[in-house]
Amino acid sequence: MAVKVKKRRDEVVVGALLVVTLVLGLGGTLWIARGGLSRGYAMFAKFPWGAGLKQGQPVLLAGVNIGFVSDVQLVPDGTLLVNMTIKRNYKIPINSTATVEANGIFGDQLIAVTPVRATTEFLPERDTIPTGVSAPGIPDLLAKGDSIAKNVNLLTANLRSEFVDSGGIKQIRGAINDMTRLLTQITTVVTTQSRELTTTQEQVRTLLASVDEGKIDSTLTNVRAASANLEKMSRGLDSTRLQVNALIDKVNNGKGSISLLLNDPTLHTKLVGVSAQLDSLIADIKKNPRKYINLKIF
Amino acid sequence: MLTLLIRPMAGISAMLNALGKRVYYGRDMIRALAEPGTWWVEFIRQMRAIGVESVPLTVIVAAFLGGVTAFQTRYQLFAGVQVSVVGLIVRQSIVLELGPLLTALVLTGRVGARMTAEIGTMRVTEQIDALETLAYDPIAFLAVPRVLAALVMLPTLTMLANVAAITSAWLTLILATDVRTNDFVDGLRLSFNMFQVIYSLIKAVCFGFAISFVCSYQGYVTESGAEGVGKSTAIAVVIASVCILLFDAVVAAILAPFIQA
Repeated sequence: MAVKVKKRRDEVVVGALLVVTLVLGLGGTLWIARGGLSRGYAMFAKFPWGAGLKQGQPVLLAGVNIGFVSDVQLVPDGTLLVNMTIKRNYKIPINSTATVEANGIFGDQLIAVTPVRATTEFLPERDTIPTGVSAPGIPDLLAKGDSIAKNVNLLTANLRSEFVDSGGIKQIRGAINDMTRLLTQITTVVTTQSRELTTTQEQVRTLLASVDEGKIDSTLTNVRAASANLEKMSRGLDSTRLQVNALIDKVNNGKGSISLLLNDPTLHTKLVGVSAQLDSLIADIKKNPRKYINLKIF
Repeated sequence: MLTLLIRPMAGISAMLNALGKRVYYGRDMIRALAEPGTWWVEFIRQMRAIGVESVPLTVIVAAFLGGVTAFQTRYQLFAGVQVSVVGLIVRQSIVLELGPLLTALVLTGRVGARMTAEIGTMRVTEQIDALETLAYDPIAFLAVPRVLAALVMLPTLTMLANVAAITSAWLTLILATDVRTNDFVDGLRLSFNMFQVIYSLIKAVCFGFAISFVCSYQGYVTESGAEGVGKSTAIAVVIASVCILLFDAVVAAILAPFIQA
């Protein structure tokens, strides 16, 4: 009897241990894989091949975890039909788009559902969420990195060809050496000039030191006097200028004989005519003096 | 010259002899599976002895293992690395390696040594001979229940150890570091593949077989009284530990490519 009781107790205890472990193990595994044990409703989305999606990956709505990927089917038209299980207490706004985003730096993916604006309208259950353009993932960035690396390699090869193989670096070195020599020469010239300037400065100082202050004073007085005379002369010239201007004004405005002489073309024409007549008279006198001079002596 | 060759040849011959004996022992165990009436009751008893009574030790070891792993992992992260990496590293190291391996090594001392001592004592006190006299297959009565119980209980205890270690890691992180539950859970779920749990259980099954087979065999072939029992126990624990490590390497070499999601 005691043996039977012990045997039964053993069986119960072992059975309990197995059940507890099964529940913990299975439940824990599902909890980790599926992001929770609560039921939800199905939503769908279509992504192109190569999206890197698999069961259990999280679904985020504006950054909040609302569900997980429950199934991924390969469609021959180049798309993946993704079945998502969304928790019952979340609804997806009607203007949302779904994109595949990188989840951390270890190559895992998630589906990010992004609403354009707040709205009170939601997509019905079992509807298909429109997909958008995904941000470049690590493979895309690596591909870009590869192409950048290729370009850098090409650039390096060209630089090598230009600077190393065809002697460009030698020429640059030669130019640098020439510049160094030139700088040395300039330094020498500057040093020499600086020395001469210093000498000149000293001479000027000596000269200035030897100049008599009294002589300087009298020179300054003479300069001042000359300056005063110049000023008087300048004033005189000014008044003369004003008079000349007034005279010229008068002449230009037709006042006075000179103005008339200068401005009236009739007199000029007449004078020209008189001058022409005089010329012809003189010529005639020379030709026929007896016409005009009748000289009798006795 | 001949003497130089004899010693290595004798050594190789002894190894092959030992291997052959174990193969025969295995063959006898497989034959004994056909007698469930003989091993079933003992099987349940052994499951309690190996499994239920080892739960406290397993959980304590796993709890400390998980806490220390999480704590050390957090403080090895340099600035800029996302803290959810701690959850990922804790899960990978415990589920894939430390959970099954340390559970098996701990149980080698507790369960394996006990198995060898029990059977070895029965051998030296001629109880096994008495069973044979009574037409009981001693292997069906002694070895098969223990091996089957170990094959069932090691994965069970490993699963418990994994849960305990991960829970302990979480508690340690939220109480003693700046890692929050959200970060830990994010890392725990990162790149998770169901096969990682199956891999852990496959290892546990292999380790359970190693412990029970080696230790029951060593007990079965014990000689020379009490001293022989002690010697057999020590040899059994060493050989079982080495076999566990060998199985660990072999399973990793074969199945590791399938782990990653």
